[in-house]
Amino acid sequence: MLFHNLRIAWKSLKRNRALSILIVTGIALGIAVSTTFATVRHSFAKDPIPTRSGVLYYVRLDSWDPLKPYPGADSTLPPTQVTYRDMTEIMKSDIPSRQGGMFKTALYVFPDAKIGQPFRETIRLCFSDFFPMFDVPFRYGSGWDKKADEGPEPVVVLSDEMNDKLFGGKNSVGKTVRISDRDFRVVGVLADWAPSVKIYDLTQNFIEKPEKIYMPFNFVKPMQLRTFGNSDGWGSSGGLSGFDGFLQSESCWIQMWVELPDKAAVSKYKDFLAAYVLDQKKHGRFQRPVNNRVSTVEEWMRDQRVVPPETTAMLIVSLLFLGVCAVNLVGLLLGKFLARSSEVGVRRALGASRADIFVQHVVECELIGVVGGAIGLALSVGALALLNQWLKTTQLRGDYFHLDIPMVLLSVGLSLAAGLAAGLYPAWRTCRLSPAVHLSLQ
Amino acid sequence: MEFGPILRSMRRNKVRYGLIVAEVALTLAIVANCVNMIRDSRRQMAIPSGFDDDNIIRVASRPFAPAFKEDGYLDNSLRQDMEVLRAIPGVKAVSNTRFLPWQGGGSSMETRVLGSKGEMLRNQVYNADEGTLDALGARLIEGRNFTREETASEALRMRQIFAKARPVGADGTPLEKTSQDIIISKAFGALLFPDGKALGKRLEDSDGDQYRIVGVIDRFYNPYGWPIHEYVMFFPSYSRNFVGGAGYLVRAEPGKKAAVMASIEKALVASNNGRSVQVQELTQIKERFQARTALLANILSILIVLLLFITSLGIVGLTVFSVNERTRQIGTRRALGAQRGDILRYFLLENWIVTTLGLALGILLAFGLNVALVSKVAGPRMEPGLVALGVLLLWVAGLAATFLPALRGARVAPAVATRNV
Repeated sequence: MLFHNLRIAWKSLKRNRALSILIVTGIALGIAVSTTFATVRHSFAKDPIPTRSGVLYYVRLDSWDPLKPYPGADSTLPPTQVTYRDMTEIMKSDIPSRQGGMFKTALYVFPDAKIGQPFRETIRLCFSDFFPMFDVPFRYGSGWDKKADEGPEPVVVLSDEMNDKLFGGKNSVGKTVRISDRDFRVVGVLADWAPSVKIYDLTQNFIEKPEKIYMPFNFVKPMQLRTFGNSDGWGSSGGLSGFDGFLQSESCWIQMWVELPDKAAVSKYKDFLAAYVLDQKKHGRFQRPVNNRVSTVEEWMRDQRVVPPETTAMLIVSLLFLGVCAVNLVGLLLGKFLARSSEVGVRRALGASRADIFVQHVVECELIGVVGGAIGLALSVGALALLNQWLKTTQLRGDYFHLDIPMVLLSVGLSLAAGLAAGLYPAWRTCRLSPAVHLSLQ
Repeated sequence: MEFGPILRSMRRNKVRYGLIVAEVALTLAIVANCVNMIRDSRRQMAIPSGFDDDNIIRVASRPFAPAFKEDGYLDNSLRQDMEVLRAIPGVKAVSNTRFLPWQGGGSSMETRVLGSKGEMLRNQVYNADEGTLDALGARLIEGRNFTREETASEALRMRQIFAKARPVGADGTPLEKTSQDIIISKAFGALLFPDGKALGKRLEDSDGDQYRIVGVIDRFYNPYGWPIHEYVMFFPSYSRNFVGGAGYLVRAEPGKKAAVMASIEKALVASNNGRSVQVQELTQIKERFQARTALLANILSILIVLLLFITSLGIVGLTVFSVNERTRQIGTRRALGAQRGDILRYFLLENWIVTTLGLALGILLAFGLNVALVSKVAGPRMEPGLVALGVLLLWVAGLAATFLPALRGARVAPAVATRNV
């Protein structure tokens, strides 16, 4: 029966080609626009690390100026990063099963003379727990161990891209790379790794790809490394100067993550932080009200406004656009169906029930929805490719927006819903006409 | 006029006309809000920096040779770089500064009027030399510029003061306060001294270190993460170190930018190859900074065109349908003496009524959608003028979409009326 209805629907579409093209184009445009912008927003909003987001927490402490809150859109939030002093102190806690502060810097890499000139590269300094915490995939070797954190031992992890550049893609574990003024031993090479947002550091351009070199955090002192990310300071320098002064200062520049296996650990860790801040208050620091944050991945993304507001606005506008297309479709279908009411009259006179007529017309609408939806989906693939191309020129990343299964399902769902919503009334009107009226028009 | 018959016919076909009313209303709401967002984007992008953006080139020198770790070597190479850059034909001005316009950030600090005990105000802060204002194309409106001698001696003096920890007093701030001369923007001056002149006045920072205003520039706008885009303080110093390298702003004479750019890297590396050199046009940096806003405006423009297309399609469909259904009525009217113009006018009027109803509803929707967008996503408030413009646009689009099908209706021959009876 369905097949029969589909055949009739197909014939009906073919009969008035111009009108059918108009109808299908309308719905295809609506689906293309709404799928594209739903996908754009989804690319930012989706969980970038579903395997780990349940246990990872971002730590913030309000060590800011007693006289006024940390500047930003939401004045209830503490600084986005922690100070060096606070990081070293709170990392003494054994409540987190894994933890670590991190930051990025830029240093010269001196490749083999055959490969080329020295080049400056962004490097992330982190602790050994970084790799298991963020589920970082390895092609060769692995991260370093706690002993290397303590040393610090001169070890590095390279991205696959950096390994291609320096070692022609071969297994380079055990080989040496010269960075700035010392030699580092390669202990691991990453497999392809590009989370949708650079979740571990949302303080700056977070749709960038991850850094290409990782080294132990504790090189910060011997190499006197400064952050190339944001560093927010306030108040008096306290007479401190130079690099040690910077480490002792109230400047906030480190991203701090902890892994807490369960709710109990979370509340225990929050208590620990509260006790730490109260203790610091005795020493004259932390003079603002206690405002510690142990945020889930989702909360941290919300606070940092990872989803650009324009994408939400565009999604709303594009769904309304689809609404207009559907309303438009109702009008066109109504015209189309009523124009061939004589044919319906003949069918009714020959014994077709109202339900038969109704179902037949709804099937025709759904066919339009599906055909339009398929074209719309194809158009949105093209639109997303264009957006990726644009992104590549501004952000050097051309693989950001792509349709995933939830978005394809959404698109199909929207097509069927639009077809149904637009078709119900015209189909009902058509089946309600009495056969006599249909025939009398002949 | 045929108001009576039209309204009666509309009442009999509520749904069909209702659909067009809804479509027109939604279209007006979306178009008005899109245009509103586009205008906001354009407005943001059109804010002038106050600099000669089109002729400025940014040069970054990043040392890797260990010799650059030594202060004297760094100073010499900086002087040498500036000489090399000045000697390139077509160069109008050269400056060593950490300031780079249009990168979406920079550095900032907090100050207040000396002795005011008031709130600390945040401002952008960058080093400048005698060529910075010239290289930017910024206009000094009061006071004086820095000199080359001043820049060199101040750089040395401050470096010595900050080379070691400074003894602090009971309040935790350094005992000995420093004082530097600064140039500020007019907007920052107005913020600090709402009812007086800024020139000659002093500021202090959280350490009690002082800043004397010796110059004021007309305009400064550099978008920043915090709302301090127009507040700046320049202090005389050179900026260079081993890790960060040195940054230069070079202003080319009009029309010479490409030629200047082409020779910079070669000239600098030839004078010292212990570093790498990066050369960028300021316009490119600006474009990258504005790319997202520009893209948004373009997408919204495309959406508006598509939407008007869809809506016109709907109106064409309705009119065709309306004409087909009434072929015999038209014939009858024509047979009874109605002119073609009467028929045409009838359809145009019918459409005009439907569109106008839709627009009336759409005005409410446009403001409603704007309120929703502003509260959910932030954005500009709706300007009533834009809604009015949208109404005009849709009136015209509606009439244009009706015209051809209605003309076809007007061509129905009177004979048709009798044919099927």
